[in-house]
Amino acid sequence: MFSSMSAIGIHFGYTCACVAVFKDGRADVVANDAGDRVTPAVVGYRDTEQIVGIAAKQGQVRNAANTVVKVKQVLGRRFDDPVTQTHKAETKCQVVSREHMPYYEITCGEHAQFVAPGDVAKLIFKKMKETAQSALGSDVTDTVITVPFEFAHAQKHALRDAAEAAGFHVLRMIHEPAAALLAYDVGQDCSSGNSHVLVYKLGGTSLSVTVLQINGGMMRVVSTSTDHSIGGERFTQALAQHLASEFKRSFKHDVSSNPRALLKLMNSADMAKHSLSSLGSANCFVDSLHDGIDFECAVSRARFELLCSTLFNKSIQPIRSLLDEAGLSARDINKVVLCGGSSRIPRLQQMIREMFPDVELLNSSPPDEVIAVGAAIEAGLLVGRDGLAPEEESVAVDVSAADILLKEVNDSGAETFSILLPVGTPLPARRHHTLSAEGKLSSLCLEIYQRLVTEQPEILSKIILRDLQPSEENHSIDAVVTMKRDGSVHVSCAAQKNGKSEAVTIPAAS
Amino acid sequence: MLLEATDGEETAVFKAAAASVQVLVEPVGRWFEAYIRRRNRNVSASFQELEEEEESSEESEDEELQLEEHPMLRTLDPKDWKNQDHYAVLGLPHLRYKATQKQIKAAHKAIVLKHHPDKRKAAGEQIVEGDNDYFTCITKAIEILSDPVKRRAFDSVDPTFDNSVPSKSEGKENFFDVFAPVFERNARWSSKKHRPSLGTMDSTFEDVDNFYSFWYNFDSWREFSYLDEEEKEKAECRDERRWIEKQNRASRAQRKKEEMNRIRTLVDTAYSCDPRIKKFKEEEKARKEAEKKAKAEAKKKEQEEKERARQAELDAVRLAKEKEEEEARQVALQAKKEKDIQKKAIKKERQKLRTTCKNWNYFADNEADGVKMMEEVEKLCDRLELTSLQSLNEILASASKEDSKAAVEKQVEEVNAQLQREREAEVQARQAARSAEQASGGGGGGKGWNEDDLQLLIKAVNLFPAGTNARWEVIANYMNVHSTSGMKRTAKDVINKAKNLQKLDPLQKDEINRKAYEKFKKEHTSVPPSIDNALPSERFDASGGEGNAGPWTTEEQKLLEQALKTYPVSTAERWEKIAAAVPGRNKKDCMKRYKELVEMVKAKKAAQEQVAAKNKK
Repeated sequence: MFSSMSAIGIHFGYTCACVAVFKDGRADVVANDAGDRVTPAVVGYRDTEQIVGIAAKQGQVRNAANTVVKVKQVLGRRFDDPVTQTHKAETKCQVVSREHMPYYEITCGEHAQFVAPGDVAKLIFKKMKETAQSALGSDVTDTVITVPFEFAHAQKHALRDAAEAAGFHVLRMIHEPAAALLAYDVGQDCSSGNSHVLVYKLGGTSLSVTVLQINGGMMRVVSTSTDHSIGGERFTQALAQHLASEFKRSFKHDVSSNPRALLKLMNSADMAKHSLSSLGSANCFVDSLHDGIDFECAVSRARFELLCSTLFNKSIQPIRSLLDEAGLSARDINKVVLCGGSSRIPRLQQMIREMFPDVELLNSSPPDEVIAVGAAIEAGLLVGRDGLAPEEESVAVDVSAADILLKEVNDSGAETFSILLPVGTPLPARRHHTLSAEGKLSSLCLEIYQRLVTEQPEILSKIILRDLQPSEENHSIDAVVTMKRDGSVHVSCAAQKNGKSEAVTIPAAS
Repeated sequence: MLLEATDGEETAVFKAAAASVQVLVEPVGRWFEAYIRRRNRNVSASFQELEEEEESSEESEDEELQLEEHPMLRTLDPKDWKNQDHYAVLGLPHLRYKATQKQIKAAHKAIVLKHHPDKRKAAGEQIVEGDNDYFTCITKAIEILSDPVKRRAFDSVDPTFDNSVPSKSEGKENFFDVFAPVFERNARWSSKKHRPSLGTMDSTFEDVDNFYSFWYNFDSWREFSYLDEEEKEKAECRDERRWIEKQNRASRAQRKKEEMNRIRTLVDTAYSCDPRIKKFKEEEKARKEAEKKAKAEAKKKEQEEKERARQAELDAVRLAKEKEEEEARQVALQAKKEKDIQKKAIKKERQKLRTTCKNWNYFADNEADGVKMMEEVEKLCDRLELTSLQSLNEILASASKEDSKAAVEKQVEEVNAQLQREREAEVQARQAARSAEQASGGGGGGKGWNEDDLQLLIKAVNLFPAGTNARWEVIANYMNVHSTSGMKRTAKDVINKAKNLQKLDPLQKDEINRKAYEKFKKEHTSVPPSIDNALPSERFDASGGEGNAGPWTTEEQKLLEQALKTYPVSTAERWEKIAAAVPGRNKKDCMKRYKELVEMVKAKKAAQEQVAAKNKK
């Protein structure tokens, strides 16, 4: 029972996986046995063993045919799925169809074996489990796993199965953008009123942009878009191509026909890209790249940004179209959360900042770890509680359909509306307001309006308070607005001075 | 700023609010969890509404609060407040320690409203001035009961509490009826919230054990500060206060001890009376007994089993042995029988042969031949096997005298030939053994050593004593130069032969020496013989000169030398004494030996001088 009090969150991405542990009220990312906080989601098959992580990624140069990368792309998909076909075309590992499901054909050892994508995912989950266990010093089974928002039911199911095969008890599967918001504790500090948050996730192979509405601590996805054609790998590729042309220029050798040289260049470009996020220039060095020639080349950040400028534009573009689609402007966004390793790139951050000049940009924690941290926080909330059934995980909640407004006058005498209860508030809800009125008045009128989206406010009710004692000071009126699940509103108000009170109940339209 | 209401406006509802809508939310976060919990509990209202409900229910409780007015309230003496029942004063005698703080406050409020001096004055009542009014009792009561510490002190000495402990005889009769209420009322002193109940006859062992361990480790909050005789606050100086404190502490401790004893007695009594404990003990005993019995039985069984196994094994061994013996006996008997039969047969045959031969008068004409033949026949009888004897007898029985004679003679010849063969074989074997011995001694590997060579070797060995540089090569060279046989010998051959000679028994060596001496005498009569000391390592001692009565042993030689030294020349009857000192030798032997030795020494000296002279040349 005690061991179950610690829980972990796992972000299982296309290129990398990350695990965070929730312990003593804190969620922390755990470094794996190689000392890295993020483990490449690469599995290398050898004669006698399977290697997961950085060793498998580095071994890819020699063992490309038996190294599985980006397994998440085919997880839970059928063989004839176009995504599977694309994956088949891209990966060096042989993909075959068995009973309409894709399988990897692993040719190491004496016999070729067929490995299901689920088994590959299981190995990665196992690695994550070992990593968490080594940090906690005890067994841990309870976990929260993140999934991309666009994942279909079959894919979620496959991912859950893989995690359970690795010995996990999956508390819940949550969406990646929601996890990112949890990590920054967004939404739980602004429980009074609506806010919109944009989650920008640029990972190794995909870009996803999501706008969420937060109301009363509840998150609701307004709109989302995913682009699998852009990601960190594209930047690396661009840089590797540049390196190849540099090599060709200086040594008159074309490496494009040498797959091992290309892989070496990719690895080198990857490292250079990482250092360019923090340094002004980086050095690429590849031993014996081609024909025994060592290759060395310096790349400046400006050069890199120039190489990738079209890619950067392509990465930023979806934000605009998404906002248009949601009918929001850049000003409606209250916060922007960056996640995914590639959002570390300074130029991208700068471009996003330019797009949202007045908005708080949340990038304080490492973007490739944020989602795992959020998952761990959620795991900490859930551990020891009765979980929801998997099919219940998308929950419909009653929310108010319209803003509840109060008509007031401002200092200059013009009529204004102030929001008593914003639209989208989870019900039942109660809001407490202290209103003030000019002290010389002996009677007051509270006019309650409602405003449906983009429509003119319409009056619902009037509350009259009489027999107030006029004084020098302003009147203070306590108003409590309560809305039940069906939408009926109860407003009660009381003058603080003499306790005169009035209440009204507005029934909900049926 | 709110709007001003215009005249004639009333609170009104004009339109229904829009109905709520359902949206999908992300299943994350605290708020979501709270929402799910609420939904699962099927609570329709928000938290605040819930709280309100709780409050209202409490209020209704307050309203139900029934106050029982103290009948003697007005006659109470404020000075004797310590002995008053504060709960009764406030009208709560039915609730007592169970009354909540809220109830006490409410009761106080009600009673104050009724009995406050101001109120009574207004009602036209006579009021005793100052603290002497009975209202002081009410004040005192609320003062005690509103302070948790003071209230606890008062509760501890609640006058209505029954401190009695049932006696054993009472408990024996109707345990549960007697003890349940006692434990129930004493449990109120427990500082632990959870109090196990006495249970019933059917309670499990764990429950009963739990119950008694709770009561044996009873942690009571009961304290007796309320009964303090002196009041600390009344003290006039620090010393007095200290004294009072000490007094109070002592009396409190005493009372506490008494209380603990009371509880202890109660639990002890209950424990001894508890029919369940008795039952458990009996059960335990029975179980142990059964276990013991089972164990003993198992052990016994095991032992029996072992014994049986051992017995069976022993029997098997014995039987096998007996059988073996029987067989052996049978075989022996058989063998003996056969042997006897054969023996008898052979005896019979022999007898037959003898008689036949005798009958034929040993095939001899004269006595001498007959005797010889008799001898031969006896030999035949001894040597021949049963079968050959039989066949011989058959021949003898059937054939004529001449034939028989021929047959017997043939047999005799055969036997003699056989004997001869055997003897030769024996001789051969002996020779072979001897030659093998010589061969193992490394006798030059077939290189013949004639007398001259041996003599030459001995001479050379003496000529070049131990310590000479490359001695054996020099000796070999010398031999090769001086030998008459013309054989080439290596150092190894020489060394082997010399070693061999060393091993030879003294007689053999002596023989060589004698032969050499004779030869030498023949050749150089003037030169004294170089005898003995053939081998440097044996020196004088090993020479082993022989007397008539056999060679002198080393032992005897030593004894003789010793005796010669012990009895110098001047000693009377010297030789008799020397002979007595050497056992096995007489006077004559000794004298002879002495002479020999003297001669030997002389000869040796002469030889040495000669060699030295030769070397000088």
